[in-house]
Amino acid sequence: MSRRRAVLALLAVCVLGCLAENAQGQALHYERPVERAPQEKDIGGGYVTPKVQKPLPRRAWLEILDVALLAAAMGVSVWIVVKRRSRRWLVALTVASVGYFGFYREGCVCPIGSIQNVTVALTDPNYHIPMVVTATFFLPLLVAVFYGRAFCGGVCALGSIQELVLLKPVQVPRRLDQALGLLKYVYLAAAIWYAVLPAAQRDFVICRFDPFVSLFRRSGFAHMLALGAGFLVLGMFVGRPYCRYLCPYGGLLSWFSRLAARGVSITPNKELDCGLCAEACPYGAIEEMRAVRRKCLYCARCYAACPREGPLVKAFVPLGEVR
Amino acid sequence: MSGPGLKNATIAAGAVMVLSVVALAVDYAVMRGWTPASDAQIAALQEKVQRDAKLAPVLAAEQKRIAEFNRARRARVNWLSLVLVGAAAGFLGGAKRLLAGQARPPVRVPERGPSAVWPRAGRAVAAQAAAAAPEIDLTFVDGLIEKEGRGAEAAIPILQAIQAHYRYLPDEALRRVCHLTEISPAQIAGTSSFYSRFRRSPVGEHIVRVCHGTACHVAGARQITDELRRELAIAEGEDTDPSRTFTVEEVACLGCCSLAPVLMVDEHTAGKLTPATACDALAAVQPGERA
Amino acid sequence: MSGKVSRRQAMGRVARGAAVTGLGLSAGFLVHKAEGQVVWQIDASKCVNSRLGEVGVKVCDLCVKECVVTQSAVRAVNEYSKCGRCCVCPAYYSVKSAVGRDGLPSEKLCPRDAILRKPIGEADPNDPANNFYEYVIDEAKCDGCGKCVMACKEPAGLSSIILKVRHDLCVNCNNCAISTACPKDALNQWPALKAVLGESAPA
Repeated sequence: MSRRRAVLALLAVCVLGCLAENAQGQALHYERPVERAPQEKDIGGGYVTPKVQKPLPRRAWLEILDVALLAAAMGVSVWIVVKRRSRRWLVALTVASVGYFGFYREGCVCPIGSIQNVTVALTDPNYHIPMVVTATFFLPLLVAVFYGRAFCGGVCALGSIQELVLLKPVQVPRRLDQALGLLKYVYLAAAIWYAVLPAAQRDFVICRFDPFVSLFRRSGFAHMLALGAGFLVLGMFVGRPYCRYLCPYGGLLSWFSRLAARGVSITPNKELDCGLCAEACPYGAIEEMRAVRRKCLYCARCYAACPREGPLVKAFVPLGEVR
Repeated sequence: MSGPGLKNATIAAGAVMVLSVVALAVDYAVMRGWTPASDAQIAALQEKVQRDAKLAPVLAAEQKRIAEFNRARRARVNWLSLVLVGAAAGFLGGAKRLLAGQARPPVRVPERGPSAVWPRAGRAVAAQAAAAAPEIDLTFVDGLIEKEGRGAEAAIPILQAIQAHYRYLPDEALRRVCHLTEISPAQIAGTSSFYSRFRRSPVGEHIVRVCHGTACHVAGARQITDELRRELAIAEGEDTDPSRTFTVEEVACLGCCSLAPVLMVDEHTAGKLTPATACDALAAVQPGERA
Repeated sequence: MSGKVSRRQAMGRVARGAAVTGLGLSAGFLVHKAEGQVVWQIDASKCVNSRLGEVGVKVCDLCVKECVVTQSAVRAVNEYSKCGRCCVCPAYYSVKSAVGRDGLPSEKLCPRDAILRKPIGEADPNDPANNFYEYVIDEAKCDGCGKCVMACKEPAGLSSIILKVRHDLCVNCNNCAISTACPKDALNQWPALKAVLGESAPA
């Protein structure tokens, strides 16, 4: 019956309001008119409570498809580089990866960021890590153990977009290159440090300062968009600045890829020692006519530059000879 | 797309890219000022409405207008960024193709087996040599034979004289010798191929002697020779470039091992070479000549 | 690959085997504690705007400001079963504003005019206060500023409106910008199934 009372009070207020024409500026004396929510049967008249908007998250099978595509893309990357030895095919894969992992999936979740999820999951027993993130983290490392950094080449969205903008690479002096290369380990250590902090202070710095994810989303903070654009402009002249000097996952991959038995191989047994491949490599990854596994980013530019690289060579190189 | 068309398209894409970046930046800068201003406007209106209820429709209209404006702006920014991505892709693609066109054309190295690009020594080369030097004055050969005699024992002096005069043994001159003397073609072929001093193909204007002595060999003379041959586009089995400017020879020792690897261009010596600097040594005789 | 295996090859195989085993073990550990899909979810009992007892505080609009999606993926959601369907809804009207000629507050609360109000069934014009009204939030307009949530909170309202993450709009960032900014740590990743089915985040 309290509702009836409240209604009466409200009516009184209304009447008063109408009488006092000039008494505008007077606010309503508000009091909650009901104690509990009326249900369908209280309202009557065949009233049906509308459904609450509850949009479902992305389908689980789509997330699994992402992982499958990641694995497939790495497989294709290995096939192109080890077997097919073609820059052209690799560019096609790179464009596809930027399109799917970059602009469609908006760069999340990526193995680089998953370093932090894995770190937290290993240290904090209350943290939920989905299977998808675990797989995203471990698959590229597993591939790196056997084939080197196949993930970096045409699969990683961040790497691929830098790969595509590279216009006129300059060779970074070796000393500088090595010194800057240490930055990524510092970054890795910082990322792990911030991830193992207790939940309240925890921060995922890699994701927070990911320069390209805002570009993929085409929204975000202005400073992050500017940082991404800056990296891309720099990347037109310095090959993949983020991958070589900052990417913490690149640090992990380069450790694991030291074990790799196969990968980019400079035309086996047919070198001219001309050094055209080393000149073509924008990442300084060819030393003494051999691709250095831990630096090689699987771009296949050396194949494109090689005068001895042609259909004949490919046909006559038995796989066993490939170093 | 052809050269100028591609260039124009690339410039156009670049211009679109720059314009959309500028538009986005201007939009951002304007909105940075505009958003607090509109918030303040709404707050002021709300203040007024608290005193005067008549203004309520104005406030509602204003709120609606601002909400609509924000939605329109979001759509606009989204479109602009899509245009930016497209233009950037077009610009980069075009610029890459333009740069690739500018760069030095890739050097072709013959595969095993016959190749149409660089014919091997043989008939094709003879034809090429004939095309390069079609007219050979054979009166020198006639005079020489008169002087040296027509016997088989005169073969070596005759060949030496021909070599000294023409700087190589032209096929026409040798044919003339066979015709006029008792020297057989087999004897000429045997003698001229036995002594490395004799050469059957025309020599270049300058002779590049790359030292392949022990010190130079160890210091990478092989790479120097390979680099020179590649730069000068000397075909496999040949020693002279197509324009007959340089002949690259491998010699035993030039006697300056401390400069290894070393080469001589005519009488100029260049030492401590690397594959990258080997070709610069050729500039000593022909400043403009870099194949 | 028949014949003798060189020392180098053998060492390589051993090292690779060790690396794969290490990766496999740690991956296995994580898979063991994995729990399917996780999504960002607001815990209504922590969020300042909906937390009971937080009265007279400033409305927190970090969900609008911090979200990387242009129009925040956080939206106000009206749980209809809890809604009082009042004539004067404190979340729809700014109850402090002056009363207009129709006897209702003159000002709406939502800055984006995202709440729609319509009477249920036949409205009695002589007795407006005794009708039921349905309040539907137009999620295309709402950006999750939380004003209505704060206003609907008990005791003023029935706390039927809370902030929720629209999972179809949320890009599921690995590092949700709102969660880093949230002063009450109300945003967390919870297993999707529980989050979607349950009314609020599991404890």
